[in-house]
Amino acid sequence: MTVLDYMKNNLVCLDGGMGTILQKNGLMPGELPERRNITHPEQIIDIHRRYFDAGSNVINTNTFGANCLKFNGSELEDIIKSAVENAKKARELSAGAQPKFIALDIGPLGRLLKPYGDFDFEEAVECYAKTVKIGAKYGADLIFIETMNDSLDTKAAVLASKTYADLPIFVSNAYGEDGKLMTGATPAAMVAMLEGLGVDAVGANCSLGPAQLAGVVKEYLKYSSLPVILKPNAGLPKSVDGQTVYDVKPNEFSNIMMKYVNDGIRIFGGCCGTDPEYISATVQKVKNISPKQISDKNITMVSSYTHAVEFKDSPVLIGERINPTGKKMFKEALRNNDIDYVLNEGLKQQEKGVHILDVNVGLPEIDEKETLQRVCFELQAIIDLPLQIDTSDVQAMEATLRRYNGKPMINSVNGKEESMRAIFPLVKKYGGLVVCLTLDENGIPETAEKRVEIAKKIINTAKAYGISKKDLIFDSLAMTVSADNKSACTALETLNIIKNELKCHTLLGVSNVSFGLPHRDILNGAFFTLALENGLSAAIMNPDSNEMMKSYYSFKALKGLDRNCADFIENIEKYARPQFDAVKSAPAEDAAPCAESELQRAIVKGLKEKASAITELLLEKAEPLDIVNSQIIPALDIVGKSFENKTTYLPQLLMSAEAASSAFEKIKLKIKENPSNTVSKGKFVLATVKGDIHDIGKNIVKLIMENYGFEVYDLGKDVPPEKIVDEVLRTKTKLVGLSALMTTTVPAMADTIRLLREKAPDVKVIVGGAVLTQEYADSIGAHFYAKDAMETVRYSLNLVESGESNE
Amino acid sequence: MDENTVFIKKYRESEIPPVNESEIWRYSGFLGKQNEISRELKNAFEEVKKETKGIFLYAVCYRRMTVAWENGAPSLPFGSHSQSLSRLLKNCSEIIVFSATVGLETDRYIAKQQKISPLKALLANAYGAERIESLCDKFCEDAKSLLDGEGLSVTRRFSPGYGDFPLETQREIFGLLDCNRKIGVSLNGSLLMSPSKSVTAIMGIKSEICDKEFENKCSECANKNCGFRKQEIL
Repeated sequence: MTVLDYMKNNLVCLDGGMGTILQKNGLMPGELPERRNITHPEQIIDIHRRYFDAGSNVINTNTFGANCLKFNGSELEDIIKSAVENAKKARELSAGAQPKFIALDIGPLGRLLKPYGDFDFEEAVECYAKTVKIGAKYGADLIFIETMNDSLDTKAAVLASKTYADLPIFVSNAYGEDGKLMTGATPAAMVAMLEGLGVDAVGANCSLGPAQLAGVVKEYLKYSSLPVILKPNAGLPKSVDGQTVYDVKPNEFSNIMMKYVNDGIRIFGGCCGTDPEYISATVQKVKNISPKQISDKNITMVSSYTHAVEFKDSPVLIGERINPTGKKMFKEALRNNDIDYVLNEGLKQQEKGVHILDVNVGLPEIDEKETLQRVCFELQAIIDLPLQIDTSDVQAMEATLRRYNGKPMINSVNGKEESMRAIFPLVKKYGGLVVCLTLDENGIPETAEKRVEIAKKIINTAKAYGISKKDLIFDSLAMTVSADNKSACTALETLNIIKNELKCHTLLGVSNVSFGLPHRDILNGAFFTLALENGLSAAIMNPDSNEMMKSYYSFKALKGLDRNCADFIENIEKYARPQFDAVKSAPAEDAAPCAESELQRAIVKGLKEKASAITELLLEKAEPLDIVNSQIIPALDIVGKSFENKTTYLPQLLMSAEAASSAFEKIKLKIKENPSNTVSKGKFVLATVKGDIHDIGKNIVKLIMENYGFEVYDLGKDVPPEKIVDEVLRTKTKLVGLSALMTTTVPAMADTIRLLREKAPDVKVIVGGAVLTQEYADSIGAHFYAKDAMETVRYSLNLVESGESNE
Repeated sequence: MDENTVFIKKYRESEIPPVNESEIWRYSGFLGKQNEISRELKNAFEEVKKETKGIFLYAVCYRRMTVAWENGAPSLPFGSHSQSLSRLLKNCSEIIVFSATVGLETDRYIAKQQKISPLKALLANAYGAERIESLCDKFCEDAKSLLDGEGLSVTRRFSPGYGDFPLETQREIFGLLDCNRKIGVSLNGSLLMSPSKSVTAIMGIKSEICDKEFENKCSECANKNCGFRKQEIL
């Protein structure tokens, strides 16, 4: 019998603490407890046996920190091998008559993954894989991933377990008092991701006592369709008369656990501070409880690294703006690797209130796999909305799904055999909510009936792959009414049937319906309302459209989805006025006749909105380049000089720089109309070196250099030397800026300069950062040490004037 | 005292002193007079404060350990030697090793503001620095009043990287405190901590009043030109 068979009709009892007992047995400060499998096997066997005797069905091997970051190859194998053998011996020795299983225990690696740490996701997967392979080889019955405090790290451990062992996987996370993981995920977000990854049980352990986990337990039981695990601490450690005691005793512990088992917890045990007494007390109290049946909650949800978005009654808005189709500036940004532009599209939509972001970066001349991965990674660094990964390139899809932090939407599959064969295995492996287009080899059917047929075929095929209906969302395909005036009706009828008869969620790209017609917004808004009334669950839409937002808030208020109409009242004002009025009204206020010197003043004083409005006004009569040279640059020089004289300081310099940037935005738009104009002083490649993840200083340099007209290629932080050299060669840049904060990362700066001197000998390198000094800079072969952003600008401008940085 | 246990202390926001704005301006590089700060600049910080409401976590994990002395040198639970640390720990019989953090959300907010407003990113970075220092101050204050009861006093805190105390000691401190599991702080390959607004430090415990010379935390630092350097207390 496997643990999964046993679990079907029985409660499963886990073990209790290991580390805290080992400490009582003389584990020294700094000693790694995993070594005791080899040095003190009798101790470990004894602890395991006592848990089995107390009634545990599953004990965890003493391998919490057994990973390749702490132990080298042969020692790692020895430790895990003895750990599993110790557990097996304990099983033989125990008199307990219950079915007994051995779980390979896996704890976190202790390294934070990128972007906020420096550890790479694939490196983490490899580390976990080593532990998993050894544990499986020596005969563990299941894998128990526990105490994970980060969602992406959890995913790495699960992927390694799925790939390198064919064993049941239990996953337990560590929550704080706020009911979230250290890195922000809620129980619902973890359930969404882990169910998607196909694990066998989910839950919480460690960090808190049983009573403080009440909220977390409730969330798990609400969202999870899998058996739920609970393995709390015996409260918190306290020091009493020089002894450490945990403040929740076995009786209290088991009483609370009994209540949770009554509520639906199926797998229980203890963590830090608990011992066999806690386990036997709990076993006694729950032995007569008949386990609550586990049912599919049938909740459709996706998640980010912080929260889940549930598809229910209230419509879900999916922002469509991250997509190059028909957008000149967006395409150009993609070609130039200008990720910031793309991120800004995301930030703007988040601000407008969308719940999910669609991400499409498909452009024939770029490497879509690389770009899509990078864009999603960067979006997930700063935006906590779930993403909808939108690509027809299956390899790009897989690479992005793999590293996605959470459970994404997948756009899309359709009724073609080929499409389902390509996409469904990915959904099964990584999890996701799939957009299903109701079309197949014969194209888009004209009737609702036939579209529904395709939907049924997709549902059945998905089922064969083990993908449940709740993870499918159907697009009934709105085509423009200008070409076929029945097309909206067909789409509506289809979605109505799919929602109400097939009981599946539905989605539409709403704006297609108005293609080729004037004032499309008005038609889109009306169609959106109709679609919602017919059962639309989500819309892929443009949140800049007032009409769409009006429909959204109105629908919610009218259908009882907006309590006290609070959302309506709070938000509707900004959509009530016609759009172009709002745009025009801003500059009018500042229509002063002496606007020229006003712009300088606005920049010097750091007034962003004013600088932008005045520039717009000036552009009506002056040449963009004149404004730059006679207004913006002189203003920056005023601020720059007083910064150098220490009468103005960094925050004020930045305020002015931001104001200058907002003026530049307007200038750039104007210049785009006449591409022969350019404000470029030259190119500048900028990066924080490998190993360093501080980039505030680097970003300040970027801003100021851009203000002075340099085209900045910003590679971000933690950038390896090769990548910097590649970018220099690709963009034919003669000027490079490198930043490092720590003494430990200056060697990476030296490596970068060495490689640059070899591959691009005529490049000049400017270095800066907190620990750098002139001597340091000289010793690593930099051309210039800049102590701040202004020095970088001065040096660069001098090079330009002397012609040295020209191509 | 049980040397083997790592204790966790989490503070509510209300227990930490409110933000000291002059520190914000100092950390963000403003060295002028407070009355030179424009309304716009102050507003920018007000926005930062509003947008970061509730994102700070105030968590500390710590361990109290005995120190043996041999030939005038302390035997510490880590391998690295530092004269400045030995000087600080003179006559100490115990130490408190601790790690503190204000959490990862601060880093996320700063990263987001880098894309929106570098000024606000700078101010948020300063805010995070001020918060983690305030948390450490509070924790050390608490330790001080607790040990007062035992008739003991504490030295000021001292971190790897200060004076000649090697940054490499970070690895050992992380081993001693299990920081990742306890409060979610991790150490990367370059010995940087994530979340970035985190601190590790050591305090000495002794039975006498502490020397004044160590009160200024900048006094041991070799970087005399640092813009953040506090004036020597004479």
